[in-house]
Amino acid sequence: MTRRAALVSALMLLAAGAGVVRAHEEFRIIGTLMKHADSRIQVKSRTGKTVSIRLDKQTAISRDKKKVDAAALRAGQSLVVDSYGDTEDDSLAIEIRIVPPIRGGD
Amino acid sequence: MAQDTRERQALGRASAAALAVATAVLATVVLPAEYGIDPLGTGRALGLTALAGTGVEEAVPPPTGDRVAPVQAGPFALYPAEYKVDAREFVLGPYEYVEYKYQLEQGATMLFSWRADGDVIHDFHGDPEGQASSTAAQSFDKQPRRQADGHFVAPFAGIHGWYWENPGGETIRVRVAAAGFFTVAHEFHIDRTRRERAVRPLDVISPAGGEETP
Repeated sequence: MTRRAALVSALMLLAAGAGVVRAHEEFRIIGTLMKHADSRIQVKSRTGKTVSIRLDKQTAISRDKKKVDAAALRAGQSLVVDSYGDTEDDSLAIEIRIVPPIRGGD
Repeated sequence: MAQDTRERQALGRASAAALAVATAVLATVVLPAEYGIDPLGTGRALGLTALAGTGVEEAVPPPTGDRVAPVQAGPFALYPAEYKVDAREFVLGPYEYVEYKYQLEQGATMLFSWRADGDVIHDFHGDPEGQASSTAAQSFDKQPRRQADGHFVAPFAGIHGWYWENPGGETIRVRVAAAGFFTVAHEFHIDRTRRERAVRPLDVISPAGGEETP
């Protein structure tokens, strides 16, 4: 009985773990940088939704295909952000591209 | 002497009659039954041509099965269902992407043509059935292209198709047309939406009229 309970618990943990792994997805957010502070950016997407995205040391930031520092991020810039997480909001930025102003954007 | 002449004439008549009968039997019975040669139509009338084995054989049934997989015989293959056709146009806004893939069984074939009206990042790839796309996807062509016309034989069962990304700030249109032994299409958008798209059966293609080209 104890062995069966242990097996059931292990399977439940495995299933829960698989759920967590499945939940992580990649996102692309295209929009305008509203705010940059404390290793976090707020981007207003073209659909009007504002999302908060985390940055870390591995986040690659570039402009014209050249790597730049996080300090280069300024409010008003057009960004293409590829991030990773459970949801768009509070996802972790993998790559941020500073691009020319997007026509038809907000 | 007169007796000999009469006997010779009788023998000649008998031989001629025997030859005529033999010729008639040959033409009406033997040739149709043995060789399927039926100069007088008597073989067909008497049902003798069937004996020569020249009748139409019973039709072989097509392969059956739930999965639209090829049954290969050298360069020739049969499938348990007819092929499907499909055509789509995608409008990619600045930096947007789309993925469009068809469900194909292992060995199944499709023909395709696509065109983009601007530079796109492109990756023709496949995701094996039952495996996570992020780890198991296999890329088959990532060359920079604005268009492609080709055919594809699926190396494994799964979804196979294109990733197109607009790398710039101008809107781009991508048009794709395909025909093949696929069963359904899947469309993946930048907003994480995934749509299943029905592909069309062959009866959407009207038979061409009998007009001759000048």
